[in-house]
Amino acid sequence: MTNWQRIRAVAGRELRIIRNRPLYLVGSVGVIAFCAIFFLTFLGGGLPHDIPIGIVDEDNSSTSRNFCQQLDATQLGKVVHYDSFASAREDMTSGKISSVCLIPEGLNEDVQAFRQPKITFYVNGLYFVSGALAWKDLLTMVNMANGAVQREMLRAKGYNESQIMGMIRPIDIDTHQIGNVTTSYNYYLSGLLLPGMLEMIVILVLIYSLSAELKFGTSRHLMDTSGHSIVNAISGKLLVWTVVFSVIGFILVMLLYHQMHFPMSGKIFNMFIPMLLLVLASEAIAIFITEMVPVPRLALSIGALYSVLGFSMAGFTLPLEAMPPYVQGLAAVFPLRHYYLFYVQEAIFGAGFAGWWKEVIYLMLFQFIPLAGLIRLKNAYIHQNYPKE
Amino acid sequence: MANTFIKTWLRDWWGIFCHELKQIFSDGGVLLIFFVAGLAYPLLYNVIYLNGILSETPVAVVDDAACSDSRRFIREIDATREIEVAAKCVNMEEAKRLMQERKVNGIVYFPREFGKRLANGETATLSLYTDMSSFLYYKNAMIGTNFVMLHEVGQIQMERYSMAGMTEQAASQVIKPLGYEDNNPYNRAFDYSFFLISAILMIIIQQTLFYGMSLLVGTQREKNHSFASLPDKLQGNGVGRVVLGRGAAYWILYLGIGMYIAFIVPAIFGIPQRGDFWNVLALLVFFITDCVFFSMTWSTFITRRESVFLLFLAMSPILVFLTGCSWPTVAFPGFWKAFSYLFPSTFGVQGFINLSTAGGDISAAGKQMTFMVLQTIIYFFLSFVCIYAENWVIRHKEQIHDRRDELTRRIGIDRAEDARIIKGN
Repeated sequence: MTNWQRIRAVAGRELRIIRNRPLYLVGSVGVIAFCAIFFLTFLGGGLPHDIPIGIVDEDNSSTSRNFCQQLDATQLGKVVHYDSFASAREDMTSGKISSVCLIPEGLNEDVQAFRQPKITFYVNGLYFVSGALAWKDLLTMVNMANGAVQREMLRAKGYNESQIMGMIRPIDIDTHQIGNVTTSYNYYLSGLLLPGMLEMIVILVLIYSLSAELKFGTSRHLMDTSGHSIVNAISGKLLVWTVVFSVIGFILVMLLYHQMHFPMSGKIFNMFIPMLLLVLASEAIAIFITEMVPVPRLALSIGALYSVLGFSMAGFTLPLEAMPPYVQGLAAVFPLRHYYLFYVQEAIFGAGFAGWWKEVIYLMLFQFIPLAGLIRLKNAYIHQNYPKE
Repeated sequence: MANTFIKTWLRDWWGIFCHELKQIFSDGGVLLIFFVAGLAYPLLYNVIYLNGILSETPVAVVDDAACSDSRRFIREIDATREIEVAAKCVNMEEAKRLMQERKVNGIVYFPREFGKRLANGETATLSLYTDMSSFLYYKNAMIGTNFVMLHEVGQIQMERYSMAGMTEQAASQVIKPLGYEDNNPYNRAFDYSFFLISAILMIIIQQTLFYGMSLLVGTQREKNHSFASLPDKLQGNGVGRVVLGRGAAYWILYLGIGMYIAFIVPAIFGIPQRGDFWNVLALLVFFITDCVFFSMTWSTFITRRESVFLLFLAMSPILVFLTGCSWPTVAFPGFWKAFSYLFPSTFGVQGFINLSTAGGDISAAGKQMTFMVLQTIIYFFLSFVCIYAENWVIRHKEQIHDRRDELTRRIGIDRAEDARIIKGN
């Protein structure tokens, strides 16, 4: 038999294993489908709106009521009225509302008399997104209220509209959000969490597939099928799984960038490159872990710890620069990190090959890692001398 | 009579309790999860998010205006905590290239007429381009430039109003008729680590307990024992002591691990611990009890030792979102909101953040505690049901196997042939 026939025999055998144990398909296709449905519907709103903001209005004047109505009318905020600061504070501590705005008594009179009263607001920054958004909304509203008072006065003095704008707003900032115009959390997070989930699933499923041979004592037969070549054995398994995972990955790319129109300044088809490389690199990691620890349970535990860390170490939520220096270097050993850097170049800047060729090389380098322990895995497969648990 | 019943009950309970502890401590995988993951993971995450604030985001400046106002603006944004002016570029092309090379994460552009418009008393517009690859870059660039803008606006307005003939006092009163004072008492600088670590700590408690227990259940099943098989002499009447005996073993263990995670880890890394010790401990006890019965119920579905990772590891990142501390609960779609009620971590995390990190009194976690109690009761009864179901399955194993074989035959799968190709002989 030629090597190619042996590889095909191993692949055929792998397909039968998959058919016999539903766990494989549920663990790969089922889990990624669930994750895709979850993230794309959960974050589907893009940016939260109608964040409850508690207001304690001790003034009850036309000015304060007007302020509340304006705040309620913003897309971000929704006003919840409280009678006392104590009860509002309690609700803020318990996370029911993310901020409290206190309007002091006599606000209206003080504003009219230019005595510069102060609105006080408290934000619960532990509920991160809603706290930050409520804070932004309140700041905007106070500045707008100031503008409104000035506008009234300037109109009364006979200034024309363009002069008034110059007085109220001498400087304006025109913000351009490159790569995510609508500040959508769905674009931001789902576009990277789903490939991260795929990385996790590739690592776990492949470790399981490789180490289950030891666990069920079928590894010698695997070696017989592959003509006693560990390379043939792994190639056959990889043949099946690379097809399965790449297809999942490509479907994800099409789903995100074609179907759901996630922002993409480059070409959608270019995203197939990092997706395929992410799958291959994660497979390499899975093989390496199994080679080093040919004990199913330990290998899976290590794979689990590693792949969960991958999300943080990719650096798309808290950027890598903000992590301690000795952690930053470690990020290079997580395929998702390179996928992210590729994505930034292609999807956000549309830089093309010149932007991402380095990431392609880094991801390809992962392919050398499994070479380190092939012999070790072969011995384990033949002697079955590790604990089966 | 009653006396002997209580005696046997306690003796059985004690036996099951000790047996479960023995199982836990003789299984390397479970120990790895409980003690290595449970104890080391919180430390690891703290190191990663140690300084959870991103400061000095580099931006490039393109100053086509080249006037004193734009230069002052540039100096001022450089002085903020959020922004560092990393490059001064001659044109936008150069700045764009720097951003694409990720040497800067934002561009501030002053158009040619910026100074002229200011001098004419009109509105001068500057442009800010931000890299959205991480929202923290965007947030920094926004906050930094907006603060400087507001400050500058105040200065310029003073000039313009005094030109219009107002005294300094009058001008300042007109410019800011309404002042504000903002407080962010629990997380002053919007530190990433404070909320995320608090959430992750509680999730680690729940998930390691669940994975560990599932691993043991899978092991038992593979060895053809059952985690649930009732002691023979009880003749199917002792479900209570099985559930409570097993539960107690994990409960005791996790009270220790939980106290380490909830009290010692935050203390090591300076995560705020503003809560009253006894309040937080009470919350922890509720949470761990809830987690024990939760795990006992869901681990029933695990048939093999390793399958828990393949099936449920993906839940861990999802659980972080379901707590509502990053993505606000009000923005949850209805279905996922209901889904989040299945997990103790949803309430455990909120309760822990409210009590320990924000320092509320026990009423701040009242709603969460109530939900946890409800969950505990429901999962407690479900774990009874699971044990009954398990025993039913054990008694009907052969029928179930026959049924499966028949089904696979009908779809056309030859299990014997498959087994020959997979295992040989």
